[in-house]
Amino acid sequence: MTERLLTVEGLTVDLLRDGGRVPVLRDVSLALEERQVLGIVGESGSGKTVLAKALVGWVAEPLVASRGSVRFRGQDLLAMPPDARRVLRGSAVGYIGADPGSSFDPTLPVGRQIVEKVRAVRADIDATAAKKRVLDLLDRVHIPSAARRFDEFPHQYSGGMLQRAMIVDALASDPAFLVCDNITQPLDVTVAAQIMRLLHDLRSDLDAGIVFISTSLPVVCDIADELVVLSRGEIVERSTPERLLAAPEHPYSRDLIARNPVIWGTPPEPVELEAAPRAILEVEDVTKTYVVPDRTRFFGTQAVKAVRGVSFAVHGGENLGLVGESGCGKSTLSRLLSWVEQPDEGRIRFKGQDIAGMSAPQLLAMRKGFQLLLQDPFNCLPPNLPIGRSIGMSLQIHGGLGRKAIAEQVRAVMAEVGLKDADRERLPIGMSAGQRQRVNIARALILEPELLILDETLSALDPMEQARLLDLFERLQARHGFTYLFISHDLAMVRRVCTRIAVMYLGKVVELADTRSVFFEPTHPYTRALLSAVPTLEEKPFKAADCLLEGEPPSPIDLPQGCSFAARCPHAMPRCRAEEPPLVELGGGRFSACWLNEPEVSRAA
Amino acid sequence: MGFALTFFARRLAQGVLIVLLVSFTIFALLRVVPGDPARIILGPMATDEVVEQTARDMGLRDPIPLQYMRYLGQVAQGDFGTSFIKARGGGSMGGGRDEARGERARVLDLVAETLPLTLQLAGLALVFTALIALPLGIAGGLMAGRWPDKLALYASSIFVSLPNFWLAIVLALVVTAKLGWIPSIGYQNIAYAILPAFVIAIEMSPLFIRSLSVSIADTMRHPFVELAQVRGLSPGRIFSHHVLRNAAVPVLNLFGVQIGALLGGVLIVEYIFDYPGFGLLTVQAVLQRDFPVIQGIAIISTSIFVVINILVDFVSAQIDPRIEY
Repeated sequence: MTERLLTVEGLTVDLLRDGGRVPVLRDVSLALEERQVLGIVGESGSGKTVLAKALVGWVAEPLVASRGSVRFRGQDLLAMPPDARRVLRGSAVGYIGADPGSSFDPTLPVGRQIVEKVRAVRADIDATAAKKRVLDLLDRVHIPSAARRFDEFPHQYSGGMLQRAMIVDALASDPAFLVCDNITQPLDVTVAAQIMRLLHDLRSDLDAGIVFISTSLPVVCDIADELVVLSRGEIVERSTPERLLAAPEHPYSRDLIARNPVIWGTPPEPVELEAAPRAILEVEDVTKTYVVPDRTRFFGTQAVKAVRGVSFAVHGGENLGLVGESGCGKSTLSRLLSWVEQPDEGRIRFKGQDIAGMSAPQLLAMRKGFQLLLQDPFNCLPPNLPIGRSIGMSLQIHGGLGRKAIAEQVRAVMAEVGLKDADRERLPIGMSAGQRQRVNIARALILEPELLILDETLSALDPMEQARLLDLFERLQARHGFTYLFISHDLAMVRRVCTRIAVMYLGKVVELADTRSVFFEPTHPYTRALLSAVPTLEEKPFKAADCLLEGEPPSPIDLPQGCSFAARCPHAMPRCRAEEPPLVELGGGRFSACWLNEPEVSRAA
Repeated sequence: MGFALTFFARRLAQGVLIVLLVSFTIFALLRVVPGDPARIILGPMATDEVVEQTARDMGLRDPIPLQYMRYLGQVAQGDFGTSFIKARGGGSMGGGRDEARGERARVLDLVAETLPLTLQLAGLALVFTALIALPLGIAGGLMAGRWPDKLALYASSIFVSLPNFWLAIVLALVVTAKLGWIPSIGYQNIAYAILPAFVIAIEMSPLFIRSLSVSIADTMRHPFVELAQVRGLSPGRIFSHHVLRNAAVPVLNLFGVQIGALLGGVLIVEYIFDYPGFGLLTVQAVLQRDFPVIQGIAIISTSIFVVINILVDFVSAQIDPRIEY
């Protein structure tokens, strides 16, 4: 009798805590056929990662598998002796995790570590053959100049490259069964889209059954033959992607589908351009370069060009979104805008006044007018101050108010952001991320600013809390007439709240237009690539296959000549590799930096 | 290769600067503190005029920077000067027998006689330290929170609380004088180095035990260590090829810093055991205000410290390529 590739029966995993047992997985049963892809979708905290590890027989204290079995071709991975399991795990069973950055020994070259693994589990492959095999695979997962990369260290790889190397590590021993645990989660959208495309390509000539686990329903639906929905450690629905999306049975599945943002659905109303918009913040040709030591040369330094000539204006009462992937310079820009750091070149004007020329008291007064809210709600609150004092501190710094008046305002502003009056004496410790972020908002709000810069403010929060805070922002805007600058990598969020959007790539704004134009008629190929890579359930107007080439974004230390997107752009022309296109107006308040727009530019002019 | 070259060029340049700064500080301090070397050389019977004349002849009344430059010029030619006190044969001079500078011991010779003995003592001390710290520290780190960890903690607490002079005296008394197992006081052969080395090892090992167990426990908590098991590597290989490698860097750095403590420990222990090494030479030179010897010792021990730290940093950078220097 031939055994099925993988059978999980009645698996229950408990967490041992304070002498008791907290169930993490309850009665999970799964089956995987040879060469099948089974998707598992679940939120953070649903027990996904515990399940992923249990599937490869990896259940370690304080977790215990109290009941059930995980049988790989008939052998129970949980019950077998550790030595047998170890050999099986490296060779026939592969595992790729969500954290490629800490999956390799940081002190040894990546290639050597993969060879070490191959040699450890496959005694039949000698050192030369193992090296050749790894080099071939590095090539096959599109790691450029694999021979050189083989000898490089993990810190010299980007996140996407490391994830590719992890894929090589898992495939090098020809596994029959592969677990992919949330492998796209830490990656930027375009890089994640490239990894998913790679996995699609590999599937056809890979002889393995795959369990693909992810928090993202669109990503799972994209690759899985069958899928299960995991909620609070239990499987609530088994289905196929098509059936689940068409007719979800369990309320949780319906909820999961509903929570996926719709980006294209109904287009937003076209915004009327004001004839003479009141610019509250003007950024003019701002540049910032960091100098870092170069250890390959004697007293050498390298220049990291973080922001390269950015210009835009934020108009009073609008919501401007600044989007881009990691390393595009958006965080540097937010530091420049809030004058935490000074730009090397260019000007930043707040309400018509150049910040560079301000004296210290003027600067303090100006800071009252705009406030910065950061991503990490944990480290920006003084841990030993009751939050009421933290909030009141802003007013103390700016002076002019008595203790009573401050207390009065603190109470008012706390009520406004939805904090209870009783919370005033609490310390930040023990508050949730969402509550802390409310404290931060209250700290900014109490100064009655005109402009709020939100640098990934909502990224660390779960979707429910995110939605609540967005509502709060809307209410505050309606009441106080705030202007918001949202700096984010989350396109769906920006689509929901912003009126205009600037897209950044490698330190430059490549497209700037109203939300409708950016999402429905993007003029820059990078914007299209970004949109094509967003995981959504709806039919996308842009396909990743048409919009994005293989390849990594270039390093800001070593920028190529010409357009910095040329290497990944399907429309790149010889001119793109020679000359950098400037950001030009296409009419209707739309700006784009691409040579493809040339004819339109001349028409508009 | 480019890295090694620029690394050493850069670090040696820094090292020379450090040695110059330290030697100048010592040089200047020696000339500011009370105690006229000319008086010491000539003895209490000499008249003030003779003392003044000798001091002038020796250049001791010139401005300090000038004296220092003159001294550096000699050092550059390999001449560290001659002792004020010690005679070439080893006995003490001074006490009025003037005009005998030619017979005074050269500093370089004094150092050449004593340094090998001290290096032998320090080497033996490091071997003992490794024998004590490696098993305790590694076991403590691998079994964090369990009895080997506690054993390591208690052992290092006891070691760190033992004053080295007390331990040295007790060991000399019991092991040498009472039991007669191992000789110590003075020096005839390498057996005389065992007890002093042991005292130094007891003093140094607590730091290494802690550093080892903490850095091994930290490395064991790295995700890649757990994942390596899932990737099919055996626990033995993970430990020997990955955990030890990653845990080595902090321990190496501690070693670099502890070289200073080792030199200091040698000073006291050699004095107690009357071990004729670098440390004893230092103590005698300081007590006798023997300026040239103190200066030579300062330059040489600073150089040892600097060179060992450069090597430690180089090895660290070879182990962990992320380290920037």
